Amino acid sequence: MCCMNSPSTGSQGQQPVDPGRAQEHGQVLAGLLAQVARGDHAAFEAVYDQLAASVFGVVRKVLRDPAQSEEVAQEVMLDVWRSASRFDSSRGSAVAWVMTIAHRRAVDRVRSENASAAREQKVAVDQVSGDDVFELVDTALDRQRVRRCMGSLTTLQAESIKLAYYQGYTYPQVAGLLGVALGTVKTRIRDGLIRMRDCLGVT
Amino acid sequence: MSVESHQLHLLTGAYAVDALTGAELDEFERHLKRCASCTEEVRGLQETAARLGLTTAVEPPAWMRGQVLAAVSRTRQLPPSGGRLLARGTPRRVTRLRRSLPRSAAAVALAAVIVVLAVLQVNTRNQLEQTQQGSRAVAAVLSAPDAHLETSSTTVGGTVTAVISARDREAVITTADMPTPAAAKVYQLWVMGVSGARSIGLMSGNSTGVTSPVLAADVQPGDRLGITVEPAGGTKQPTTAPIVVLAAND
Repeated sequence: MCCMNSPSTGSQGQQPVDPGRAQEHGQVLAGLLAQVARGDHAAFEAVYDQLAASVFGVVRKVLRDPAQSEEVAQEVMLDVWRSASRFDSSRGSAVAWVMTIAHRRAVDRVRSENASAAREQKVAVDQVSGDDVFELVDTALDRQRVRRCMGSLTTLQAESIKLAYYQGYTYPQVAGLLGVALGTVKTRIRDGLIRMRDCLGVT
Repeated sequence: MSVESHQLHLLTGAYAVDALTGAELDEFERHLKRCASCTEEVRGLQETAARLGLTTAVEPPAWMRGQVLAAVSRTRQLPPSGGRLLARGTPRRVTRLRRSLPRSAAAVALAAVIVVLAVLQVNTRNQLEQTQQGSRAVAAVLSAPDAHLETSSTTVGGTVTAVISARDREAVITTADMPTPAAAKVYQLWVMGVSGARSIGLMSGNSTGVTSPVLAADVQPGDRLGITVEPAGGTKQPTTAPIVVLAAND
């Protein structure tokens, strides 16, 4: 059972980790988005097939509620279609552009419903039932790498980033949860992300 | 770098994970426009945040694909922007697709209704009270959680818009840019169902082609809303072919 942890998908599975391949993959996506901007439906379908799982995953992570996540993920994909002409590859990667839209949509939804206790309840229930969703094999290596880099942060940096990104909390809320000063959270999120960026080799 | 802008610069991380809100978010976005180093840092941190997001990938339900592609086929795309610095994201507070889109459409219709009410002359106190009661009923439909919008152009020109609440079985109908009917003719609104047409009333307007909103109650699933041109005073049953028909409830 020595090899249980090694990826079973062969070299294909390493695509997102290999910087050269990842870059190539990013260029393909950027090219597809340019076609989408010109109203190309087939290109949009290709973008959907490549990114829907990532979009749905992050939205679901933040929102927890499956029905709401499905609704928001659809809005995100429709946003990608509508605003593809606004994507500018000189300002960042196609994946980051889409994921930024997805995360914003998700936290906007959380915040618009922040006052209601319903979500808190749902989160509690969700945590009891456990996160038993099927996780994609393709992302296994990425996950390992992100986890390793996350492990190189201080506890406060890692906690601040996780609460803000995965739970959709504002930084004052993060400060409240961790019992530290606002300014501290602000700098920990930044310092932690910079360290993550360098560890992951993000350019 | 001033103390203030140094403080703002420290917000790059919080911005990249969408942890800023309200005035602070607005202030930071203004700052970004004139701070090239912040913009570059934000770019790298957003790429990093995206990597955090990618680790959470989960296959969405299969039906979602068809639903999104269908929505795409009826959704107009935005034109390219003038290359604004912050154009990377979409507008931050876009309305929700399923739940608030009808509501925001209803808000637009409500604004139009208010304008119409203000434009139309209200002469007597009695009329004023009737109008107020009417506008409350209209507002109730427009703010119904399931309110949805149907709009169509008519065969004589102009458009008819209906905001419909299936839950309340009510609809509010307004028109715009319709030509003034010929002398001694009026526009009459009907709810048309399996058992025939029921008159809701005349679409009274003024010379600007705008009619006051009309409330149709007891609109059943499957009913249609239609407008016909009738002799002044209206008729009991439609005598001409409708100039427009809208589906009231699917």
